[in-house]
Amino acid sequence: MRRLLKDALARRGMSLLAVLPGLLVLLVILGLFLKSRAILGVEPLSRLLFGDSWHPLRGEFGLFPFISGTVWVTVTALVLAVPVSILAAIYLSEFAPRFVRESARPIVDLLAGLPSVVFGVWGVILVVPFVGGVLAPLFGVSSSGYSVLAGGIVLAIMIFPTIIHISLEVFASIPLSLREASLALGATRWETARHVVLRKGSQGILAASVLGFSRAFGETMAVLMVAGNVPAVPKSLFDPGYPLPALIANNYGEMMSIPRYDSALMLAAFVLLAVVLFFNILARRILVRVERRSR
Amino acid sequence: MKKTVPILALMIAAAATGPAPPLSAQAPAPALTGRLTLSGAWAIYPMALKWAEEFQKLHPGVRIDVQAGGAGKGIADVLAGAVDIGMVSREVNPVETARGAVAVPVAKDAVVPTLSRRNPFLPDVLRRGLRKEDFAAIWVTGAAQSWERLLGREGKTSVRVYTRSDACGAAETWAAFLGKRQEDLNGVGVYGDPGLAEAVRRDPLGIGFNNVNFAYDAKTKRPVEGLEICPIDLDGNGRLDPAESVYATRDDLIKAIAANVYPSPPARELYFVLRGKPQGRLLLEFMTWVLAAGQKEVPDMGYLPLGPERVAQGLAAIGAADGKK
Repeated sequence: MRRLLKDALARRGMSLLAVLPGLLVLLVILGLFLKSRAILGVEPLSRLLFGDSWHPLRGEFGLFPFISGTVWVTVTALVLAVPVSILAAIYLSEFAPRFVRESARPIVDLLAGLPSVVFGVWGVILVVPFVGGVLAPLFGVSSSGYSVLAGGIVLAIMIFPTIIHISLEVFASIPLSLREASLALGATRWETARHVVLRKGSQGILAASVLGFSRAFGETMAVLMVAGNVPAVPKSLFDPGYPLPALIANNYGEMMSIPRYDSALMLAAFVLLAVVLFFNILARRILVRVERRSR
Repeated sequence: MKKTVPILALMIAAAATGPAPPLSAQAPAPALTGRLTLSGAWAIYPMALKWAEEFQKLHPGVRIDVQAGGAGKGIADVLAGAVDIGMVSREVNPVETARGAVAVPVAKDAVVPTLSRRNPFLPDVLRRGLRKEDFAAIWVTGAAQSWERLLGREGKTSVRVYTRSDACGAAETWAAFLGKRQEDLNGVGVYGDPGLAEAVRRDPLGIGFNNVNFAYDAKTKRPVEGLEICPIDLDGNGRLDPAESVYATRDDLIKAIAANVYPSPPARELYFVLRGKPQGRLLLEFMTWVLAAGQKEVPDMGYLPLGPERVAQGLAAIGAADGKK
């Protein structure tokens, strides 16, 4: 009897604890929404999201430069990171000798665990001068190096591990028999990788990229240090950009002194959260489907 | 970024200096103990570290943690009750006062415009200086399209403008010099005083601004290696007169600030901001010490001490005037 009671108690207790994190997300959403209502009440949402003038003292809270800055930096990072990561993952899962694969995984995971400020400092020391001093003159533009491109490069390096890690999992879930069948038909390893592994894993790769996107979209410190932080819509890769998370981090200090500023920043946080949440759910759904099919 | 003096060092210091000299007339006060936290402006950070160190020598039971993160963070933290003292390197605005911010002036310094030493136009800039209109053209209107244009010639070498990305006193003060606010300043935003100095140092075509103690090297008292102070042509006559060249060493500049040769702003007062009048004895003692004995540490650190009337006002602001004087 007591054993049964204990069992029931443990189950109840743990289910309660399991619900807690989920509730927290809801609480954060609710909190941000309530806080940003103050500004939503006075300014139309379209003006806030698509206005391109950011002058809090004059009461102008256009978030568009920041939203577009985030998109520019994130897309640049994805364009750089996705092909490299996928090819790396294919090599590691299909071609690499066992010991290379075994030793590469912890290194990739270590990279994922590095604090982002380390990437930021590294970006300021190496990537910014590289973009300003080498790449920009190559394309015949004058740039300080603090640019969308520098942000994209630093971010790309930060999201490599995420994409490589998940792609490896996806490739591992593809049955060996499929590869054997392909090889038995006389296909080379590259043909097998291209036509069997990549095709079978395409949805998983998509999910990996989307998760990389979420990580890049919300990254703050590293991007803040290299992207230039100019509140204007960037027109080229060599222009500075000002991503949403950097806006929140930089201006948290002024929140107290300008009316509705805090509310505008909360709205920015809300937008950020909504986008990341949407893409995370999307990625999860794709991954679940991949797993179900592989069973 | 925190500085904690190890307990051992404290004990040695205490043994060496003997018992702390009493600060007030109330003779047998028990030894001060406890912890104070400060956060905020990069401009005050070196000074606050020094004060913390000296105060901890006098009172071995006290621990003081100092963190830098910009004036905005300082005021936000102190108003939110996260720290005891916010270091603020700009004027405290009315909204902040209404929320209970009490600003106590503790020292003076200045913001100076900076260039890279590798700037190809350096000799000309140093000979002529730049006028206030030139700075406005660089940071506010964006009319300064080339270095040559700034020097009254034709040419196309672009000016790369830098500013601070974090809400800070340096940018607010520099903007005040140009009659604007930080959000009106154009330029690539770099995080923190050291970051901005580094960005300008590395970019031959760059121009930025820094607090005095990040533009000058504390040891040599000359501008940081690779950085040059951009002189201001105060009377706008197109050349830098001897009276206007006050930038060779940190001491020269501090003298110029004291003599009001270097204008204010960009010279400005630095504040310790409290939330309401100081409550604990430790906070009150520390503030009183900073305004009295602590002032003699100020010149060595590259700041300007307060005049006696500002000290008196400061003491009155924390409610220490009657008991102590």
